Amino acid sequence: MAKWGMVIDLDKCTGCQACTTACSMENNRLPGENWQDVLFYHEGTYPNVKLMWFPRPCMHCENPSCVSVCPTKATYKDPHGGFVLMDWNRCIGCKYCQVACPYGVRFYVDEKAPVQPDIRTVFPSADGRVWDPPYRGPQDDPGRGIGIQPHGVVSKCTFCYHRVSKAPAGIADLDEDIPALKEYVPACVRTCAPKARFFGDLDNPESTVNKLIADKSGVRLKDETGNKPQVYYLSGGAAASVPSLRSMTPSDPA
Amino acid sequence: MEIIKTLLSRRRFLQASGTAGAVGAAALGSGGVLTALKPVRAQAASPPTYHATKITKSICHQCPARCGIDVYTTDGRVHAIYGSSEHPISNGKLCPKGPLGTYILYDPDRFKGPMKRTNPQKGRDIDPGFVPISWEEALDTVAGRLNTLRDKGESHRFALCFGRGWGASCAGLLGPFGKLYGSQNVPIGHSSMCSDGSMLSKAATDGNASYSAYDYRNANMLLMFGVGFLEAFRPYNNNMQVWGYIRGERVPKTRITAVDVHLNTTLAGADRALLIKPGTDGALALAIAHVILTEGLWERPFVGDFKDGVNRFKTGQHVDPGTFEEKWVKGLIEWWNIELKDRTPEWAAEITTLYERDILATAREFGSTRPAIALFERGVHAHSNGILNGMAVHSLNALVGSLFAKGGLMYQMGPSYGAMPVKEDDFMDDYAKSGPWKAQPRIDLQGHEDGYLIAKNMLQEVGPNSLAGKPYKLDTVMFYLTNPIWTAPDGRAWEDALKEVFVVDTSPFPGETAMFADLILPDHTYLERLQDAPTYPFQGWPMAQLRVPAIKPLYDTKYFGDTLIEIGKRIKGRTGEYYQALGDSENVIRHLAKGFETDPGDNGVDSFDSWKEKGVWYKKNYKWRQIGGAFFEWDGKGYNTPMTAEQVKKELFKTDSGRFEIRSGKLEHHADWIAAKTGRDKDKLMFPHWEEPQHPGGGDLYMVTPKAAMHAEGRGANLPVAIANFQPVLGGRGTVYIEINPKTARERGIADGDLVRLKSHLGSIEGHCRFFEGCRPDTVVFPMENGHWAMGRWAKGRSPGHCGEITVNQSDRVTGQCSYYTTKVSIERA
Repeated sequence: MAKWGMVIDLDKCTGCQACTTACSMENNRLPGENWQDVLFYHEGTYPNVKLMWFPRPCMHCENPSCVSVCPTKATYKDPHGGFVLMDWNRCIGCKYCQVACPYGVRFYVDEKAPVQPDIRTVFPSADGRVWDPPYRGPQDDPGRGIGIQPHGVVSKCTFCYHRVSKAPAGIADLDEDIPALKEYVPACVRTCAPKARFFGDLDNPESTVNKLIADKSGVRLKDETGNKPQVYYLSGGAAASVPSLRSMTPSDPA
Repeated sequence: MEIIKTLLSRRRFLQASGTAGAVGAAALGSGGVLTALKPVRAQAASPPTYHATKITKSICHQCPARCGIDVYTTDGRVHAIYGSSEHPISNGKLCPKGPLGTYILYDPDRFKGPMKRTNPQKGRDIDPGFVPISWEEALDTVAGRLNTLRDKGESHRFALCFGRGWGASCAGLLGPFGKLYGSQNVPIGHSSMCSDGSMLSKAATDGNASYSAYDYRNANMLLMFGVGFLEAFRPYNNNMQVWGYIRGERVPKTRITAVDVHLNTTLAGADRALLIKPGTDGALALAIAHVILTEGLWERPFVGDFKDGVNRFKTGQHVDPGTFEEKWVKGLIEWWNIELKDRTPEWAAEITTLYERDILATAREFGSTRPAIALFERGVHAHSNGILNGMAVHSLNALVGSLFAKGGLMYQMGPSYGAMPVKEDDFMDDYAKSGPWKAQPRIDLQGHEDGYLIAKNMLQEVGPNSLAGKPYKLDTVMFYLTNPIWTAPDGRAWEDALKEVFVVDTSPFPGETAMFADLILPDHTYLERLQDAPTYPFQGWPMAQLRVPAIKPLYDTKYFGDTLIEIGKRIKGRTGEYYQALGDSENVIRHLAKGFETDPGDNGVDSFDSWKEKGVWYKKNYKWRQIGGAFFEWDGKGYNTPMTAEQVKKELFKTDSGRFEIRSGKLEHHADWIAAKTGRDKDKLMFPHWEEPQHPGGGDLYMVTPKAAMHAEGRGANLPVAIANFQPVLGGRGTVYIEINPKTARERGIADGDLVRLKSHLGSIEGHCRFFEGCRPDTVVFPMENGHWAMGRWAKGRSPGHCGEITVNQSDRVTGQCSYYTTKVSIERA
């Protein structure tokens, strides 16, 4: 069985946030519930300023701290593919997982909406979900955290399980540029204009993702946590980059 | 460490409720938590099988680029949009706006059918009292007014203004309407409020009044002046595909220098970022040209050379024109003598505030890297000296020989469209040919000595001119895909103007102009339309897209092309007969497609039906190429057929001389008028040269209001997902900030995050500021898409308000370019 992983080439990322909006629309996320976010930061003093950004999906860790803290086993590591998923039928909304996750990629939306007026009041749900937009996608699988969540639960990136899980068995890479495969590719990967994202089987030695990680020295974010992310970053020093542990500004102590 | 900690621990929605709070809430059993304890719904054993999902090939509408899209519809519900893999612009990808199209379709604030105004009083925040009417009544009302005007010999008092025209079945119908009905004000396009400064700069030098097409993938250096390549420059989606290739895959990596007034993603991603003083890009370009000449870096096979091969370009020294033999340029030595010889990097450093060493390094790199492209848009030319800045930058392309070269730039070819069903010339009555309307100038004074003699359009003048009754007052005005009360600078003048004019708006959405409308004739939204769209300038070779409806219209709306045809049918006499013969917009599109029968596209599209199925017709070879200073035509296999100088003049350099005119014949023809209106030296005004820009507004800081990536051609303001992610560098989550340099702020007693007031002599707006070291100390920057008061529930009143409220209506007198980025404002704590 595949162990799905993502490679994000930061030298190619343009910080456009198409991954964010494509994910948002594919997975019917609320405004600001960015399963796939791009974080911007800057340092320095005019005119010597550095602007950088960092795209951040769920890392679908091999050893996810969110899973180990969940008191109800609502969040779990799917053995078939390595997805970290949510069972909304089990989640009690305690948010332990949000606190335990080192990457800040879990969401609890039963709060005041960041964009007002609250779109949930404009497109309310008739069957107990948090909302029901007219463009809601057909996929619905609450046991895997797919579709629109009920109230009081945590949501997170599914690596587009509803697409990836239907891919032909044994495939090394899900490349959106191969027409026969594009429907199985996660939304953020499929839409990425500069092709900064690659998605494939980390257990398959032939996969492009493995080759990229090896050839271009892929790194994992906050590897020191031992979470072993299944998302790798390639970074040759472009504006999109893995945030460094040491600040470049002396006034900002590391 | 602080950065990573702050960023990574930013847990959205986890606000006041921290860990302890969360536990407390669980223990206390707040409503949401308990609900979740019972199963959501009986869970399907396997992922549900959907009913058949239909994929429609259409094109996006959220910027001019026309990306092919696959629209996914299941059970009558449009739920996803992805780029079409088979489309040459989108190649399966999209920009951040593309996926939001489903939301535009289902926007709850849409107009749902034709309406008329019942409240005769017009004004901002005055309820128009719209009531639904039938299409018959709506169309009859417009036609009745138009017929009455024509009977009175005042048909010129009807104007039709449009913004984003798409193709022959919408904007293409407007010209014939004006001719047949009898109004020079049908149509008036928005190009002067878009980027005419670049079109006119190109027309003045190489004779092509057009945006350029680019061969970025084969270039080794891109020098970008004020283009927002990774934010707003079209085709944005394809630009990013290019970026991924030239910066991440290509060997050698394409070098990029980006020039702008604040640090944006383009500058951040470039090899060299030059934070230039607003309005001074021309000075930088002149200094680059100076270095290219003094250091002998120009492309001799294209430009020409000294007869003896000895470089006589020495700083400050006059060159004898007889010693140089020009090849494809005209006026190089005169330019050097009258302007360029003194335009050193040291001089430009003073003007632009850039470091001399950076100017020199940029010049050397640009001059010694082939192929190289210098591209520019509004950052350069939306100033009073815009034509001069634009010509200066474009002349760099001539100096390095990149015009029509591989890895260079060119102009877009049109598609092989079939003829329209009928010719308007066969339906011209006496009134159309010689009625009293013929004696009138255009309302915007385009083409008139008192106005803008050389400009293409002057939409920003229509409102103010009608209000002043100079040259006359409009009676009726109709708008298609433009919202000038909001997009024009100083929109208050438009509000006053439209109070006294009968206004017809055709937008599917509410907007500021619509609130002044007497009639609303709503268009379909784009996922409901059948609409042709030849490509915007892309890679030069011809392409024509088709927007194909993914679902039937949700409401009682009508495609604008058909609205116009139906009005036409109701005009008395020959005009009505023409529109009867034209039929409807689908008939027009079917006739366009007949051209493909004899010239099938590379993807096999050879008919209306195959066009509709694939959504695009294209033929991938550009017809011409310049190789080493010689021009060739494509012969089906390669660029093998040599072109004569006459052919080059006819097809490529459409100037008097048939060459790239650094000494612009076009400007020289109007030298007296230009000199009179601008005060420029008659001997110098036809050359790119430095002139201080005029900055109105009365403030001490430049106000620059760029488009951001999430600005979706007018509707970004009402898309909640876009609002949540807007201005990512500083804001996001629904908050947009005014960027200010900390030093500038502190000098004025302003703290980070303070509510501030921006003032020009027109008025003031308020918003929160954010310190940003990437902003020049003499400039404040914020994106334009804020402060709507009638665009929909999410757009309403968003801080920091609308830049148009304090932007002075000043245009480049030569190009007519509306100078959006040239007003100076003051800032204070609110």
